[in-house]
Amino acid sequence: MTLQSAIRTVGSSIRNIRASSLLGWGVLVAFLVLPCLVLAQGAATQAMSVEYRDIPGIGSRNVIWFIAQQHLLLAGFVLGVPLFAWVCEIVGWKTKEPRYDKLAKEFTKLLTSAYATTALFGGILLFLLIGLYPKLMAYLTDIFYPTFVAYSILFLLETAVLYLYWYGWDSMQGNKKGFHLFLGFLLNLFAFFIMIIPNSWATFQASPVVVADGTALERAWAAMWNPTWWPVNIHRFIANVVLGGFICGAYAGVRYLLAVSREEREHYDWMGYVGNFIGVFGMLPLPFAGYWLMREIYQYNQQMGITLMGGFLAWLFILQAMLIGVLFLGANYYFWMGISYRIPGVAQSYKKPILAMLIVLMVSLAVWMTPHTLVASLQEAQQMGGAHHPLLGVFGVMSAKMTVANLMILVTFMSFIMYWRAGKQETAPWAKIAKAIMGGVLAVAAITIVVLGVWGYFVPALFRINTLSVAQVLIVLFILVTFTPLTAVLLKSAKTTTEMVWGQMPVRSGYTLVSNAVMVILLMSLMGYARSSSRVHWHVYGVLRDTSEYAYSPALGYAAALMSLNTFFFCLLVAFIFWVATMGDKSQAPSKESPQKVEPGLTPVMAGGSPSSGGKGGVQDNR
Amino acid sequence: MSEFELLLPLLSLIVMGSGIVILLFIKAMFVRVVGFVVIMLGLFSLIGASIPQAPSLPPAVETFDMARIQTPDDLAFIGQKIFFSKGQCALCHSIGPREAARCPDLKGIGAKLTREFIYESLTQPQAYIYKDFRHEGLPQEYPARMPHINKNPIALTNQEILSVIAFLQKMSGEPISIKVEDVMKPEAIEVASIRGAAEN
Repeated sequence: MTLQSAIRTVGSSIRNIRASSLLGWGVLVAFLVLPCLVLAQGAATQAMSVEYRDIPGIGSRNVIWFIAQQHLLLAGFVLGVPLFAWVCEIVGWKTKEPRYDKLAKEFTKLLTSAYATTALFGGILLFLLIGLYPKLMAYLTDIFYPTFVAYSILFLLETAVLYLYWYGWDSMQGNKKGFHLFLGFLLNLFAFFIMIIPNSWATFQASPVVVADGTALERAWAAMWNPTWWPVNIHRFIANVVLGGFICGAYAGVRYLLAVSREEREHYDWMGYVGNFIGVFGMLPLPFAGYWLMREIYQYNQQMGITLMGGFLAWLFILQAMLIGVLFLGANYYFWMGISYRIPGVAQSYKKPILAMLIVLMVSLAVWMTPHTLVASLQEAQQMGGAHHPLLGVFGVMSAKMTVANLMILVTFMSFIMYWRAGKQETAPWAKIAKAIMGGVLAVAAITIVVLGVWGYFVPALFRINTLSVAQVLIVLFILVTFTPLTAVLLKSAKTTTEMVWGQMPVRSGYTLVSNAVMVILLMSLMGYARSSSRVHWHVYGVLRDTSEYAYSPALGYAAALMSLNTFFFCLLVAFIFWVATMGDKSQAPSKESPQKVEPGLTPVMAGGSPSSGGKGGVQDNR
Repeated sequence: MSEFELLLPLLSLIVMGSGIVILLFIKAMFVRVVGFVVIMLGLFSLIGASIPQAPSLPPAVETFDMARIQTPDDLAFIGQKIFFSKGQCALCHSIGPREAARCPDLKGIGAKLTREFIYESLTQPQAYIYKDFRHEGLPQEYPARMPHINKNPIALTNQEILSVIAFLQKMSGEPISIKVEDVMKPEAIEVASIRGAAEN
């Protein structure tokens, strides 16, 4: 047997078993987990003698870190993608454009294998936690046992709905589409609850509410409803949408780079645009959710808040600013490339606004990355006249950082509006006035945000936090929720002056989409480390102390290396899942019988083709 | 810092270099994308290893070796260490005025307040809020809320609290009213009369 035929045989076997069997394995693992939880509870007394176990050479904490991070990222992906797919399906149903339905189906197909992989990592994580941290698990099981039962039931419901949603896709077209959309709604509803139950375990560790009396259910409910539960729920929900959007964008980016035919290039260019669009729209409100979470942490415990923002984790927020800055730049750059390459002839007229936006973004990023306190030697501190730099120190405080964060969100939003309006001419009689009002409101909003930021230097911190920062956030939200529908109405009657051409983007657009996804994964890893480290030497803050040899948070260099390793492995895992999921397409694609024309200079495709946009030569877009 | 952490910048550079080599010499597009990702991750690790490194260690436990504590100054020395470590006081409080302060400045606090009042402020922080604390300008409301210092997660012992008070008094140039014998007593300082006096 040749190597090629062996690979084909293995590939064929994988195709045969992949979706349903992997899903079945996932459910099996979920079932296996239940008795283990009971064992964990039953073994609580025995566990008192063994509080921790270690893995020599690697360290139990590192293993848990790696597996938990993979599980969390996969979970974010499998919770974000159904939302992405469901929204695409609704858009396809409303606009009667089959390409949206195809896109939704393409991503739902990925879910089946990704879902099973997530469950497998969840099972491994649980086994490891029970084995390596018996004291902590016994304590958590004692409090949260009722939630484990609810979680398992939700898992079964989610699995059943996913089966119906995926396998019923083709048979539930036409007049049954409404029911299929309802299944999509249920899929997301159960997914949301599947997300918030484990969130309660993690947030309880950071902000515990311990009730000694009452039934098991009452105690579990009190522990679930802890001060940071809902801020984390909302933050993670939005972040999952962002992760799902950008990973779909990265997938499209890679497939675009590998595409051999014009149809493929058009399809994946369009898919990349949709992924980036959803990622960006989720990203815009994300900082506000993060701000709410930090406020709740400060209100729950000042020391924890200060440990995060001003203590040993202070420099972490400089890294966060860097990653967010690169992400904002990448998302904007992709929009700007879209204007230049997809809408021929309009690039010249947008050169100046793009340059202005680039300058605002770069300056904002520089301010955001200014550290609050420079770590300097005594001699340096004496020369500077203190720990703060005499000139740059003014940018290192929250007042400046909140201001530039809001400005960056505004600029990104305007990049999208600009892209949306490019190549179209408004015909409504009130269009001129509406555009003038929008321009005026935008200018006033930007100036007000800066003024409020400067004002923040001269008022007590409490007034700045509770009034000025909130006002800045509300101004940006106001722009987002008013400009979007107004622009939609304005463009409804607009005349298309330049048709959108898909598949003309340069190679760097694909790399930009990949970069955006990597930035989001690193950000999630970084902030997970921050949230975990804010508990310092406690398993459950102030209640259950970590007495293991790993009762410390490693320095950022070590943490960053592990985050990079986690990100790399996760990217490979996702690539593998995509490869497995699309393997069947290759064998079904008509290219086998009638090979697609390979254009000169293009490399062969890695995996099979995907449905093109309904056979049209060039997909036109009037959005 | 472990040997691994010292090697991190070098490892990050090697990872980045691998990515660059892939982009320079490999033509297969998927491998090139992997090389691109590797460069980004190597760069991130390099930046992470280049910024100030500070692991968060559990607080050191101050042992009260009574044989070595001879004078109130010895107590104040231990109190100073607790103030900046296990007590977490310096996370919020400054000694001397500071812009954007989240809590009252503790400079001279030992001279302004009695040891009983300080003790009450540490163990029952919401019992009596001294609004005119700064003795100048308008009373200021701070965003921070003082935790119970004798309870988790900080949980200073009675001996440790008395040592911190000794440090605050010494720092303010006051004679230290905490005696070495005081830290031997298991009971807490009586504070009820102070609250009553303040309310009157």
